[in-house]
Amino acid sequence: MSNLLQEEREIILSNEYIDNFDFAEVEDFVKNANKELFISHHFAQKKKMLVQPRGGFPTYEKQFALSDFFVKANVDVLPLTIDSNTRLNDYATAKKMLRLSEESEKDMLNGYPLVNHGYRTTRKMITHFNKPVSLRHGTPDARLLIETAIASGIFEIEGGPITYLLPYSKNFPLDKAFLYWKYVEKVCANYSKLNLPINRESFGPLTATLVPPSITIVIQLLEMLLSLEEGVKSFSVSFSQSGSMNQDIVMGKVIKKLAAFYAQKIDCEDAVINLVYHQWMGAFPMDTKYAEQLISMSTVIASMVGADKIITKTNQEASGIPTKEANAETVANTQYLLRILNGLPTINDEEEEENITLQVQAIMEAVFNDPADTLWRKVFNSIKNGTIDVPFSPHIINHNEMITVRDSSKNIRIIKRGNVPIPDKCFEYEKSKCDLSKDTTDIVNDIIHDIGIMQ
Amino acid sequence: MKVVTGVIGNDIHVVANRLIELSLDARGFEVFNLGVNTYLEEFFDAAVETQADVLLISSLNGEAEGWAREVKLLKAKYKTLDDLVMIIGGNLVVGTAHADEIIPRYQNYGFDLVFHQVDLNTGLDTMEKYLKEKQSA
Repeated sequence: MSNLLQEEREIILSNEYIDNFDFAEVEDFVKNANKELFISHHFAQKKKMLVQPRGGFPTYEKQFALSDFFVKANVDVLPLTIDSNTRLNDYATAKKMLRLSEESEKDMLNGYPLVNHGYRTTRKMITHFNKPVSLRHGTPDARLLIETAIASGIFEIEGGPITYLLPYSKNFPLDKAFLYWKYVEKVCANYSKLNLPINRESFGPLTATLVPPSITIVIQLLEMLLSLEEGVKSFSVSFSQSGSMNQDIVMGKVIKKLAAFYAQKIDCEDAVINLVYHQWMGAFPMDTKYAEQLISMSTVIASMVGADKIITKTNQEASGIPTKEANAETVANTQYLLRILNGLPTINDEEEEENITLQVQAIMEAVFNDPADTLWRKVFNSIKNGTIDVPFSPHIINHNEMITVRDSSKNIRIIKRGNVPIPDKCFEYEKSKCDLSKDTTDIVNDIIHDIGIMQ
Repeated sequence: MKVVTGVIGNDIHVVANRLIELSLDARGFEVFNLGVNTYLEEFFDAAVETQADVLLISSLNGEAEGWAREVKLLKAKYKTLDDLVMIIGGNLVVGTAHADEIIPRYQNYGFDLVFHQVDLNTGLDTMEKYLKEKQSA
Protein backbone atom coordinates (compact mmCIF):
# COMPACT_ATOMS: atom_id res chain seq x y z
CA MET A 1 0.00 0.00 0.00
CA SER A 2 1.45 3.39 -0.95
CA ASN A 3 2.60 5.49 1.98
CA LEU A 4 0.58 8.49 0.89
CA LEU A 5 -2.68 6.54 0.89
CA GLN A 6 -1.86 4.98 4.26
CA GLU A 7 -1.13 8.44 5.69
CA GLU A 8 -4.49 9.68 4.43
CA ARG A 9 -6.23 6.63 5.88
CA GLU A 10 -4.68 7.29 9.28
CA ILE A 11 -5.93 10.87 9.20
CA ILE A 12 -9.43 9.81 8.14
CA LEU A 13 -9.61 7.14 10.83
CA SER A 14 -8.23 9.28 13.66
CA ASN A 15 -11.63 10.72 14.22
CA GLU A 16 -13.40 11.43 17.49
CA TYR A 17 -16.24 9.14 16.35
CA ILE A 18 -13.93 6.19 15.71
CA ASP A 19 -12.89 4.05 18.64
CA ASN A 20 -9.31 2.99 17.89
CA PHE A 21 -9.34 1.62 14.32
CA ASP A 22 -7.10 -1.46 14.42
CA PHE A 23 -5.62 -1.69 10.88
CA ALA A 24 -3.89 -5.03 11.45
CA GLU A 25 -6.94 -6.68 13.00
CA VAL A 26 -9.22 -5.45 10.17
CA GLU A 27 -6.80 -6.72 7.55
CA ASP A 28 -6.72 -10.08 9.29
CA PHE A 29 -10.51 -10.17 9.43
CA VAL A 30 -10.86 -9.49 5.68
CA LYS A 31 -8.17 -12.03 4.86
CA ASN A 32 -10.00 -14.77 6.76
CA ALA A 33 -13.58 -13.68 6.07
CA ASN A 34 -16.06 -16.35 4.99
CA LYS A 35 -16.55 -16.37 1.19
CA GLU A 36 -20.33 -16.29 1.72
CA LEU A 37 -19.95 -12.63 2.74
CA PHE A 38 -18.60 -11.69 -0.68
CA ILE A 39 -21.21 -10.94 -3.33
CA SER A 40 -18.45 -11.55 -5.90
CA HIS A 41 -18.52 -15.20 -4.77
CA HIS A 42 -22.30 -15.40 -5.34
CA PHE A 43 -22.02 -13.70 -8.74
CA ALA A 44 -19.42 -16.27 -9.74
CA GLN A 45 -21.84 -19.13 -8.91
CA LYS A 46 -24.24 -17.75 -11.56
CA LYS A 47 -27.05 -19.84 -10.12
CA LYS A 48 -29.84 -17.29 -10.32
CA MET A 49 -30.59 -13.59 -10.32
CA LEU A 50 -29.73 -12.33 -6.82
CA VAL A 51 -32.52 -10.57 -4.95
CA GLN A 52 -31.71 -7.58 -2.78
CA PRO A 53 -34.22 -5.35 -0.99
CA ARG A 54 -33.60 -1.87 0.44
CA GLY A 55 -33.67 -0.97 4.10
CA GLY A 56 -32.01 0.61 7.09
CA PHE A 57 -33.14 1.40 10.64
CA PRO A 58 -31.30 3.51 13.22
CA THR A 59 -30.88 1.03 16.07
CA TYR A 60 -28.88 -2.20 16.06
CA GLU A 61 -31.90 -4.13 17.33
CA LYS A 62 -34.22 -2.96 14.55
CA GLN A 63 -31.59 -3.48 11.85
CA PHE A 64 -30.98 -6.98 13.21
CA ALA A 65 -34.73 -7.72 13.20
CA LEU A 66 -35.04 -6.42 9.60
CA SER A 67 -32.15 -8.62 8.43
CA ASP A 68 -33.68 -11.58 10.26
CA PHE A 69 -36.98 -11.02 8.41
CA PHE A 70 -35.12 -10.81 5.09
CA VAL A 71 -33.20 -14.02 5.72
CA LYS A 72 -36.45 -15.82 6.58
CA ALA A 73 -37.89 -14.54 3.27
CA ASN A 74 -34.95 -16.18 1.46
CA VAL A 75 -32.99 -13.04 0.61
CA ASP A 76 -29.78 -13.34 -1.43
CA VAL A 77 -28.15 -10.02 -0.55
CA LEU A 78 -28.86 -7.95 2.56
CA PRO A 79 -28.97 -4.17 2.32
CA LEU A 80 -27.57 -1.69 4.80
CA THR A 81 -28.99 1.75 4.04
CA ILE A 82 -27.25 4.65 5.76
CA ASP A 83 -29.03 7.65 7.33
CA SER A 84 -28.93 11.10 5.73
CA ASN A 85 -26.79 12.76 8.45
CA THR A 86 -24.00 10.23 7.99
CA ARG A 87 -24.26 10.77 4.23
CA LEU A 88 -23.40 14.42 4.86
CA ASN A 89 -20.59 13.48 7.30
CA ASP A 90 -22.60 14.95 10.20
CA TYR A 91 -21.73 12.25 12.75
CA ALA A 92 -22.60 14.47 15.72
CA THR A 93 -26.25 14.79 14.68
CA ALA A 94 -26.39 11.10 13.77
CA LYS A 95 -25.09 10.23 17.25
CA LYS A 96 -27.70 12.41 18.97
CA MET A 97 -30.53 11.03 16.81
CA LEU A 98 -29.36 7.47 17.39
CA ARG A 99 -29.55 7.99 21.16
CA LEU A 100 -33.01 9.51 20.85
CA SER A 101 -34.10 6.53 18.73
CA GLU A 102 -32.72 4.08 21.27
CA GLU A 103 -34.39 5.82 24.18
CA SER A 104 -37.78 6.54 22.66
CA GLU A 105 -38.48 3.57 20.36
CA LYS A 106 -39.28 6.18 17.73
CA ASP A 107 -36.99 6.22 14.67
CA MET A 108 -35.26 9.56 14.41
CA LEU A 109 -33.04 8.58 11.47
CA ASN A 110 -33.90 7.31 7.98
CA GLY A 111 -31.13 4.68 8.03
CA TYR A 112 -28.36 2.95 9.99
CA PRO A 113 -25.66 5.33 11.30
CA LEU A 114 -22.81 2.92 10.61
CA VAL A 115 -19.96 5.17 11.76
CA ASN A 116 -21.59 5.73 15.14
CA HIS A 117 -22.36 2.05 15.67
CA GLY A 118 -18.79 1.24 14.71
CA TYR A 119 -17.30 -1.79 12.99
CA ARG A 120 -16.89 -4.00 16.05
CA THR A 121 -20.63 -3.93 16.79
CA THR A 122 -21.81 -4.08 13.17
CA ARG A 123 -19.50 -6.96 12.32
CA LYS A 124 -21.32 -9.12 14.89
CA MET A 125 -24.59 -8.71 13.00
CA ILE A 126 -23.04 -9.30 9.58
CA THR A 127 -21.10 -12.41 10.52
CA HIS A 128 -24.17 -13.72 12.39
CA PHE A 129 -26.29 -13.78 9.20
CA ASN A 130 -23.32 -14.76 7.00
CA LYS A 131 -24.95 -13.23 3.89
CA PRO A 132 -23.40 -10.69 1.53
CA VAL A 133 -24.30 -7.13 2.54
CA SER A 134 -24.57 -4.19 0.15
CA LEU A 135 -23.87 -0.68 1.43
CA ARG A 136 -26.47 1.83 0.19
CA HIS A 137 -25.85 5.47 0.96
CA GLY A 138 -25.48 8.57 -1.27
CA THR A 139 -22.33 10.05 0.26
CA PRO A 140 -20.02 12.33 -1.74
CA ASP A 141 -17.21 11.93 0.83
CA ALA A 142 -17.58 8.30 1.87
CA ARG A 143 -13.99 7.67 2.99
CA LEU A 144 -14.70 7.05 6.67
CA LEU A 145 -17.96 5.24 5.90
CA ILE A 146 -16.31 2.79 3.52
CA GLU A 147 -13.45 2.03 5.88
CA THR A 148 -16.00 1.26 8.60
CA ALA A 149 -18.12 -0.81 6.20
CA ILE A 150 -15.33 -3.08 5.01
CA ALA A 151 -14.08 -3.52 8.57
CA SER A 152 -17.63 -4.63 9.44
CA GLY A 153 -17.72 -7.28 6.70
CA ILE A 154 -19.63 -5.31 4.06
CA PHE A 155 -18.01 -6.32 0.79
CA GLU A 156 -20.21 -4.51 -1.70
CA ILE A 157 -20.05 -0.73 -1.90
CA GLU A 158 -22.59 1.21 -3.94
CA GLY A 159 -22.06 4.71 -5.34
CA GLY A 160 -19.66 6.83 -7.28
CA PRO A 161 -18.56 10.44 -7.74
CA ILE A 162 -21.18 11.21 -10.42
CA THR A 163 -24.11 8.98 -9.50
CA TYR A 164 -24.06 9.89 -5.81
CA LEU A 165 -23.71 13.60 -6.47
CA LEU A 166 -25.71 14.79 -9.48
CA PRO A 167 -29.07 13.41 -8.28
CA TYR A 168 -28.71 14.44 -4.62
CA SER A 169 -26.75 17.65 -4.18
CA LYS A 170 -26.92 21.26 -5.32
CA ASN A 171 -23.53 22.57 -4.23
CA PHE A 172 -21.08 19.82 -3.21
CA PRO A 173 -17.99 20.35 -5.42
CA LEU A 174 -17.81 17.66 -8.10
CA ASP A 175 -13.99 17.73 -8.31
CA LYS A 176 -13.76 16.92 -4.60
CA ALA A 177 -16.20 14.04 -5.04
CA PHE A 178 -13.93 12.53 -7.71
CA LEU A 179 -10.93 12.63 -5.37
CA TYR A 180 -12.83 11.23 -2.38
CA TRP A 181 -14.12 8.36 -4.51
CA LYS A 182 -10.60 7.70 -5.81
CA TYR A 183 -9.69 6.93 -2.21
CA VAL A 184 -12.66 4.56 -1.95
CA GLU A 185 -11.63 2.70 -5.13
CA LYS A 186 -8.05 2.34 -3.91
CA VAL A 187 -9.10 1.01 -0.52
CA CYS A 188 -11.51 -1.48 -2.16
CA ALA A 189 -8.81 -2.55 -4.62
CA ASN A 190 -6.25 -3.10 -1.86
CA TYR A 191 -8.57 -5.17 0.33
CA SER A 192 -9.54 -7.19 -2.76
CA LYS A 193 -6.01 -8.57 -2.89
CA LEU A 194 -6.42 -10.25 0.51
CA ASN A 195 -9.40 -12.49 -0.24
CA LEU A 196 -12.17 -12.49 -2.87
CA PRO A 197 -12.76 -9.14 -4.61
CA ILE A 198 -14.80 -6.38 -2.97
CA ASN A 199 -17.56 -5.45 -5.42
CA ARG A 200 -18.21 -1.86 -6.40
CA GLU A 201 -21.60 -0.93 -7.81
CA SER A 202 -22.62 2.24 -9.63
CA PHE A 203 -26.02 3.88 -9.10
CA GLY A 204 -27.60 3.87 -12.56
CA PRO A 205 -31.05 5.27 -11.76
CA LEU A 206 -29.58 8.81 -11.32
CA THR A 207 -32.59 11.15 -11.02
CA ALA A 208 -34.96 8.37 -12.23
CA THR A 209 -36.74 11.09 -14.18
CA LEU A 210 -36.67 10.74 -17.98
CA VAL A 211 -32.91 10.11 -18.16
CA PRO A 212 -32.24 8.84 -21.71
CA PRO A 213 -30.48 5.43 -22.06
CA SER A 214 -27.29 6.87 -23.60
CA ILE A 215 -26.67 9.25 -20.67
CA THR A 216 -27.25 6.46 -18.14
CA ILE A 217 -24.91 4.08 -19.99
CA VAL A 218 -22.15 6.67 -20.47
CA ILE A 219 -22.12 7.47 -16.75
CA GLN A 220 -22.13 3.76 -15.86
CA LEU A 221 -19.17 3.12 -18.15
CA LEU A 222 -17.21 6.10 -16.86
CA GLU A 223 -17.67 5.18 -13.20
CA MET A 224 -16.68 1.63 -14.10
CA LEU A 225 -13.48 2.83 -15.79
CA LEU A 226 -12.62 5.15 -12.88
CA SER A 227 -12.98 2.19 -10.55
CA LEU A 228 -11.11 -0.38 -12.68
CA GLU A 229 -8.19 1.96 -13.29
CA GLU A 230 -7.60 2.02 -9.51
CA GLY A 231 -7.48 -1.78 -9.42
CA VAL A 232 -11.05 -2.84 -8.57
CA LYS A 233 -11.70 -6.34 -9.96
CA SER A 234 -15.45 -6.72 -9.54
CA PHE A 235 -17.87 -4.01 -10.66
CA SER A 236 -21.62 -3.79 -11.21
CA VAL A 237 -23.14 -1.42 -13.73
CA SER A 238 -26.82 -0.70 -13.15
CA PHE A 239 -29.93 1.02 -14.42
CA SER A 240 -33.56 1.27 -13.42
CA GLN A 241 -36.76 0.37 -15.21
CA SER A 242 -37.30 3.01 -17.90
CA GLY A 243 -41.01 2.58 -18.58
CA SER A 244 -40.49 0.76 -21.90
CA MET A 245 -39.69 -2.94 -21.83
CA ASN A 246 -38.05 -2.76 -25.24
CA GLN A 247 -35.76 0.09 -24.26
CA ASP A 248 -34.78 -1.76 -21.06
CA ILE A 249 -33.85 -4.91 -22.97
CA VAL A 250 -31.82 -2.96 -25.51
CA MET A 251 -30.10 -0.99 -22.74
CA GLY A 252 -29.11 -4.26 -21.06
CA LYS A 253 -27.55 -5.52 -24.28
CA VAL A 254 -25.69 -2.31 -25.07
CA ILE A 255 -24.35 -1.80 -21.56
CA LYS A 256 -23.02 -5.39 -21.34
CA LYS A 257 -21.41 -5.17 -24.77
CA LEU A 258 -19.81 -1.76 -24.19
CA ALA A 259 -18.71 -2.45 -20.60
CA ALA A 260 -16.65 -5.39 -21.84
CA PHE A 261 -15.33 -3.29 -24.74
CA TYR A 262 -14.18 -0.31 -22.65
CA ALA A 263 -12.78 -2.48 -19.83
CA GLN A 264 -10.66 -4.29 -22.40
CA LYS A 265 -9.54 -0.95 -23.84
CA ILE A 266 -7.79 -0.09 -20.56
CA ASP A 267 -6.43 -3.66 -20.21
CA CYS A 268 -8.84 -4.58 -17.42
CA GLU A 269 -10.53 -7.53 -19.12
CA ASP A 270 -9.75 -9.64 -16.04
CA ALA A 271 -12.29 -7.62 -14.02
CA VAL A 272 -15.75 -9.17 -13.64
CA ILE A 273 -18.59 -6.85 -14.71
CA ASN A 274 -22.12 -7.60 -13.52
CA LEU A 275 -25.47 -6.03 -14.34
CA VAL A 276 -27.91 -4.80 -11.71
CA TYR A 277 -31.52 -3.83 -12.40
CA HIS A 278 -33.57 -1.54 -10.17
CA GLN A 279 -37.31 -2.02 -10.00
CA TRP A 280 -39.22 1.17 -10.94
CA MET A 281 -37.55 4.14 -9.19
CA GLY A 282 -40.08 6.82 -10.12
CA ALA A 283 -43.31 7.81 -8.45
CA PHE A 284 -45.32 4.77 -7.30
CA PRO A 285 -49.10 4.26 -7.16
CA MET A 286 -50.67 4.75 -3.70
CA ASP A 287 -52.79 1.62 -4.16
CA THR A 288 -50.75 -1.26 -2.69
CA LYS A 289 -52.27 -3.80 -5.09
CA TYR A 290 -51.23 -1.70 -8.10
CA ALA A 291 -47.78 -1.29 -6.55
CA GLU A 292 -47.48 -5.09 -6.36
CA GLN A 293 -48.35 -5.39 -10.06
CA LEU A 294 -45.70 -2.83 -10.92
CA ILE A 295 -43.10 -4.66 -8.82
CA SER A 296 -43.92 -7.97 -10.52
CA MET A 297 -43.64 -6.39 -13.93
CA SER A 298 -40.21 -5.01 -12.99
CA THR A 299 -39.07 -8.50 -12.06
CA VAL A 300 -40.20 -9.90 -15.42
CA ILE A 301 -38.29 -7.17 -17.25
CA ALA A 302 -35.19 -7.76 -15.12
CA SER A 303 -35.29 -11.38 -16.30
CA MET A 304 -35.67 -10.32 -19.93
CA VAL A 305 -32.73 -7.94 -19.46
CA GLY A 306 -30.61 -10.76 -18.02
CA ALA A 307 -29.69 -8.92 -14.83
CA ASP A 308 -27.36 -10.59 -12.31
CA LYS A 309 -29.08 -8.84 -9.40
CA ILE A 310 -32.40 -7.11 -8.86
CA ILE A 311 -33.06 -4.44 -6.24
CA THR A 312 -36.62 -4.46 -4.99
CA LYS A 313 -39.25 -1.93 -3.93
CA THR A 314 -42.26 -2.52 -1.66
CA ASN A 315 -46.00 -1.95 -2.00
CA GLN A 316 -45.63 0.87 0.56
CA GLU A 317 -43.26 2.87 -1.66
CA ALA A 318 -45.72 5.73 -2.19
CA SER A 319 -46.32 6.27 1.52
CA GLY A 320 -42.87 6.40 3.12
CA ILE A 321 -40.30 4.09 4.76
CA PRO A 322 -41.71 0.53 4.49
CA THR A 323 -42.19 -1.83 7.42
CA LYS A 324 -39.96 -4.88 7.67
CA GLU A 325 -42.99 -7.06 6.97
CA ALA A 326 -43.78 -5.32 3.66
CA ASN A 327 -40.12 -5.38 2.72
CA ALA A 328 -39.72 -9.10 3.39
CA GLU A 329 -42.95 -9.82 1.50
CA THR A 330 -41.49 -8.33 -1.70
CA VAL A 331 -38.39 -10.47 -1.33
CA ALA A 332 -40.46 -13.65 -1.00
CA ASN A 333 -42.75 -12.65 -3.91
CA THR A 334 -39.81 -11.80 -6.14
CA GLN A 335 -38.10 -15.11 -5.39
CA TYR A 336 -41.32 -16.93 -6.24
CA LEU A 337 -41.76 -15.05 -9.51
CA LEU A 338 -38.14 -15.72 -10.53
CA ARG A 339 -38.62 -19.42 -9.82
CA ILE A 340 -41.69 -19.74 -12.08
CA LEU A 341 -40.43 -17.42 -14.81
CA ASN A 342 -38.97 -19.81 -17.35
CA GLY A 343 -38.51 -20.10 -21.11
CA LEU A 344 -38.15 -16.40 -21.77
CA PRO A 345 -38.08 -15.35 -25.43
CA THR A 346 -35.22 -13.40 -26.96
CA ILE A 347 -36.04 -9.94 -28.22
CA ASN A 348 -33.94 -8.09 -30.79
CA ASP A 349 -34.38 -4.52 -31.96
CA GLU A 350 -31.36 -3.82 -34.09
CA GLU A 351 -32.40 -0.28 -35.00
CA GLU A 352 -32.76 0.80 -31.37
CA GLU A 353 -29.59 -1.06 -30.40
CA GLU A 354 -27.61 0.76 -33.07
CA ASN A 355 -29.17 4.09 -32.08
CA ILE A 356 -28.18 3.78 -28.42
CA THR A 357 -24.75 2.30 -29.20
CA LEU A 358 -23.85 5.16 -31.57
CA GLN A 359 -24.96 7.77 -29.05
CA VAL A 360 -22.91 6.21 -26.24
CA GLN A 361 -19.83 5.87 -28.46
CA ALA A 362 -20.06 9.48 -29.58
CA ILE A 363 -20.33 10.82 -26.04
CA MET A 364 -17.52 8.55 -24.79
CA GLU A 365 -15.30 9.73 -27.62
CA ALA A 366 -15.98 13.36 -26.76
CA VAL A 367 -15.07 12.66 -23.11
CA PHE A 368 -11.82 10.90 -24.08
CA ASN A 369 -10.95 13.75 -26.44
CA ASP A 370 -11.06 16.31 -23.65
CA PRO A 371 -7.51 17.68 -23.33
CA ALA A 372 -7.22 17.04 -19.57
CA ASP A 373 -4.49 14.65 -18.41
CA THR A 374 -6.48 12.19 -16.28
CA LEU A 375 -9.79 10.43 -16.81
CA TRP A 376 -11.50 11.99 -13.80
CA ARG A 377 -10.58 15.49 -15.05
CA LYS A 378 -11.87 14.65 -18.53
CA VAL A 379 -15.16 13.52 -16.99
CA PHE A 380 -15.32 16.57 -14.75
CA ASN A 381 -14.82 18.89 -17.73
CA SER A 382 -17.39 16.98 -19.77
CA ILE A 383 -20.04 17.45 -17.12
CA LYS A 384 -19.07 21.10 -16.69
CA ASN A 385 -19.33 21.86 -20.40
CA GLY A 386 -22.53 19.86 -20.89
CA THR A 387 -21.14 16.99 -22.97
CA ILE A 388 -22.83 14.95 -20.26
CA ASP A 389 -26.19 16.41 -19.19
CA VAL A 390 -28.48 14.66 -16.68
CA PRO A 391 -32.16 15.64 -16.92
CA PHE A 392 -33.53 16.94 -13.61
CA SER A 393 -30.27 17.00 -11.70
CA PRO A 394 -30.43 19.68 -8.96
CA HIS A 395 -26.65 20.24 -9.08
CA ILE A 396 -25.40 23.68 -10.17
CA ILE A 397 -22.74 22.17 -12.44
CA ASN A 398 -25.29 20.29 -14.54
CA HIS A 399 -26.32 21.99 -17.80
CA ASN A 400 -30.05 21.20 -17.90
CA GLU A 401 -30.17 21.90 -21.60
CA MET A 402 -31.27 18.44 -22.70
CA ILE A 403 -35.02 17.83 -22.97
CA THR A 404 -36.54 14.35 -23.13
CA VAL A 405 -40.10 13.06 -23.55
CA ARG A 406 -41.72 9.65 -24.05
CA ASP A 407 -42.80 8.44 -27.47
CA SER A 408 -46.02 6.49 -28.04
CA SER A 409 -44.34 3.23 -26.89
CA LYS A 410 -43.10 5.05 -23.76
CA ASN A 411 -39.46 4.99 -24.87
CA ILE A 412 -37.49 7.96 -23.56
CA ARG A 413 -36.57 10.23 -26.50
CA ILE A 414 -34.25 13.23 -26.78
CA ILE A 415 -35.96 16.21 -28.42
CA LYS A 416 -33.35 18.79 -27.40
CA ARG A 417 -29.74 17.70 -27.13
CA GLY A 418 -28.06 20.79 -25.63
CA ASN A 419 -24.26 20.31 -25.72
CA VAL A 420 -24.46 16.52 -25.70
CA PRO A 421 -22.83 15.23 -28.92
CA ILE A 422 -25.74 13.06 -30.02
CA PRO A 423 -24.91 12.18 -33.68
CA ASP A 424 -27.26 13.84 -36.20
CA LYS A 425 -28.48 10.50 -37.49
CA CYS A 426 -29.49 9.40 -33.98
CA PHE A 427 -31.04 12.77 -33.15
CA GLU A 428 -33.20 12.55 -36.29
CA TYR A 429 -34.22 9.01 -35.29
CA GLU A 430 -35.15 10.14 -31.76
CA LYS A 431 -37.19 13.09 -33.07
CA SER A 432 -38.90 10.99 -35.74
CA LYS A 433 -40.55 8.99 -32.93
CA CYS A 434 -42.12 12.10 -31.37
CA ASP A 435 -44.80 14.62 -32.23
CA LEU A 436 -42.73 17.78 -32.68
CA SER A 437 -45.65 20.05 -33.57
CA LYS A 438 -46.41 20.60 -29.89
CA ASP A 439 -45.74 23.91 -28.15
CA THR A 440 -43.91 24.22 -24.83
CA THR A 441 -47.12 24.18 -22.77
CA ASP A 442 -48.07 20.83 -24.32
CA ILE A 443 -44.54 19.51 -23.86
CA VAL A 444 -44.52 20.53 -20.19
CA ASN A 445 -47.86 18.77 -19.70
CA ASP A 446 -46.47 15.71 -21.48
CA ILE A 447 -43.40 15.70 -19.24
CA ILE A 448 -45.59 15.88 -16.12
CA HIS A 449 -47.62 12.98 -17.48
CA ASP A 450 -44.50 11.03 -18.52
CA ILE A 451 -42.98 11.33 -15.04
CA GLY A 452 -46.14 10.06 -13.35
CA ILE A 453 -46.63 7.26 -15.90
CA MET A 454 -46.91 4.46 -13.30
CA GLN A 455 -49.24 6.20 -10.87
CA MET B 1 -40.14 40.96 -18.02
CA LYS B 2 -37.62 39.50 -15.62
CA VAL B 3 -38.52 36.74 -13.19
CA VAL B 4 -36.35 35.35 -10.42
CA THR B 5 -37.46 31.87 -9.33
CA GLY B 6 -36.32 28.95 -7.18
CA VAL B 7 -37.29 26.50 -4.44
CA ILE B 8 -37.13 27.83 -0.87
CA GLY B 9 -35.16 26.32 2.00
CA ASN B 10 -33.64 22.85 2.22
CA ASP B 11 -36.10 21.54 -0.35
CA ILE B 12 -34.35 19.58 -3.16
CA HIS B 13 -37.44 18.79 -5.29
CA VAL B 14 -36.22 19.83 -8.70
CA VAL B 15 -38.76 18.60 -11.25
CA ALA B 16 -41.37 21.34 -10.96
CA ASN B 17 -38.63 23.95 -10.75
CA ARG B 18 -37.30 22.95 -14.17
CA LEU B 19 -40.79 22.89 -15.63
CA ILE B 20 -41.52 26.37 -14.27
CA GLU B 21 -38.36 27.64 -15.96
CA LEU B 22 -39.32 25.99 -19.26
CA SER B 23 -42.84 27.41 -19.12
CA LEU B 24 -41.83 30.94 -18.14
CA ASP B 25 -39.25 30.93 -20.90
CA ALA B 26 -41.87 29.82 -23.44
CA ARG B 27 -44.16 32.63 -22.27
CA GLY B 28 -41.45 35.14 -23.11
CA PHE B 29 -40.11 35.96 -19.66
CA GLU B 30 -36.44 36.42 -18.96
CA VAL B 31 -35.86 33.77 -16.28
CA PHE B 32 -33.22 33.71 -13.56
CA ASN B 33 -33.58 30.29 -11.99
CA LEU B 34 -31.76 29.89 -8.67
CA GLY B 35 -32.75 26.20 -8.53
CA VAL B 36 -33.52 24.16 -5.45
CA ASN B 37 -32.23 24.74 -1.94
CA THR B 38 -32.36 28.56 -2.05
CA TYR B 39 -32.54 30.86 0.97
CA LEU B 40 -34.64 33.98 1.27
CA GLU B 41 -31.65 36.37 1.20
CA GLU B 42 -30.47 34.78 -2.05
CA PHE B 43 -33.85 35.45 -3.65
CA PHE B 44 -33.81 39.13 -2.69
CA ASP B 45 -30.15 39.57 -3.64
CA ALA B 46 -30.89 38.10 -7.06
CA ALA B 47 -33.95 40.33 -7.48
CA VAL B 48 -31.79 43.40 -6.82
CA GLU B 49 -28.96 42.19 -9.02
CA THR B 50 -31.17 41.37 -12.02
CA GLN B 51 -33.64 44.24 -11.45
CA ALA B 52 -36.40 41.66 -11.58
CA ASP B 53 -40.08 42.51 -11.96
CA VAL B 54 -41.32 39.29 -10.40
CA LEU B 55 -40.09 37.01 -7.63
CA LEU B 56 -41.66 33.56 -7.93
CA ILE B 57 -40.86 31.31 -4.96
CA SER B 58 -41.90 27.68 -4.87
CA SER B 59 -42.04 25.01 -2.19
CA LEU B 60 -42.86 21.32 -2.33
CA ASN B 61 -42.10 19.99 1.12
CA GLY B 62 -44.06 22.78 2.78
CA GLU B 63 -41.22 24.44 4.63
CA ALA B 64 -42.16 27.75 2.90
CA GLU B 65 -44.41 28.51 5.86
CA GLY B 66 -41.43 28.88 8.18
CA TRP B 67 -39.54 31.13 5.77
CA ALA B 68 -42.48 33.22 4.61
CA ARG B 69 -42.85 34.80 8.03
CA GLU B 70 -39.51 36.55 7.50
CA VAL B 71 -40.40 38.02 4.10
CA LYS B 72 -41.68 41.48 5.11
CA LEU B 73 -38.92 42.06 7.62
CA LEU B 74 -36.17 41.08 5.21
CA LYS B 75 -37.63 42.82 2.16
CA ALA B 76 -37.85 46.08 4.13
CA LYS B 77 -34.06 46.06 4.42
CA TYR B 78 -33.73 46.35 0.64
CA LYS B 79 -34.44 49.84 -0.71
CA THR B 80 -35.27 49.00 -4.34
CA LEU B 81 -37.79 46.19 -4.04
CA ASP B 82 -41.04 48.12 -3.49
CA ASP B 83 -42.35 47.38 -7.00
CA LEU B 84 -41.35 43.71 -7.00
CA VAL B 85 -44.33 41.43 -7.56
CA MET B 86 -44.19 38.64 -4.99
CA ILE B 87 -45.62 35.23 -5.87
CA ILE B 88 -45.48 31.91 -4.03
CA GLY B 89 -46.75 28.51 -5.10
CA GLY B 90 -46.60 24.77 -4.53
CA ASN B 91 -47.42 22.85 -1.38
CA LEU B 92 -47.55 25.67 1.11
CA VAL B 93 -48.05 23.75 4.35
CA VAL B 94 -46.61 20.67 6.01
CA GLY B 95 -49.53 18.26 6.31
CA THR B 96 -52.92 19.46 5.09
CA ALA B 97 -54.84 22.72 5.28
CA HIS B 98 -57.52 24.43 3.23
CA ALA B 99 -56.62 27.00 0.58
CA ASP B 100 -59.16 29.43 2.13
CA GLU B 101 -56.99 29.63 5.23
CA ILE B 102 -53.63 29.50 3.49
CA ILE B 103 -54.13 32.27 0.92
CA PRO B 104 -54.94 35.13 3.35
CA ARG B 105 -52.14 33.96 5.65
CA TYR B 106 -49.54 34.18 2.89
CA GLN B 107 -50.98 37.50 1.65
CA ASN B 108 -50.30 38.76 5.14
CA TYR B 109 -46.72 37.54 4.85
CA GLY B 110 -46.32 39.90 1.86
CA PHE B 111 -47.25 37.90 -1.24
CA ASP B 112 -49.38 39.38 -4.04
CA LEU B 113 -50.36 36.02 -5.48
CA VAL B 114 -50.58 32.70 -3.63
CA PHE B 115 -51.03 29.33 -5.35
CA HIS B 116 -51.58 26.34 -3.11
CA GLN B 117 -51.64 23.07 -5.08
CA VAL B 118 -52.63 24.87 -8.26
CA ASP B 119 -51.85 23.38 -11.68
CA LEU B 120 -48.76 25.03 -13.22
CA ASN B 121 -50.36 26.55 -16.31
CA THR B 122 -53.42 27.79 -14.43
CA GLY B 123 -51.07 29.54 -12.02
CA LEU B 124 -49.01 31.11 -14.79
CA ASP B 125 -52.15 32.27 -16.65
CA THR B 126 -53.34 33.99 -13.47
CA MET B 127 -49.93 35.54 -13.01
CA GLU B 128 -49.85 36.94 -16.56
CA LYS B 129 -53.34 38.39 -16.16
CA TYR B 130 -52.32 40.01 -12.88
CA LEU B 131 -49.18 41.53 -14.40
CA LYS B 132 -51.12 42.88 -17.37
CA GLU B 133 -53.69 44.55 -15.11
CA LYS B 134 -50.96 45.99 -12.94
CA GLN B 135 -49.18 47.44 -15.97
CA SER B 136 -52.29 49.15 -17.35
CA ALA B 137 -53.29 50.48 -13.92
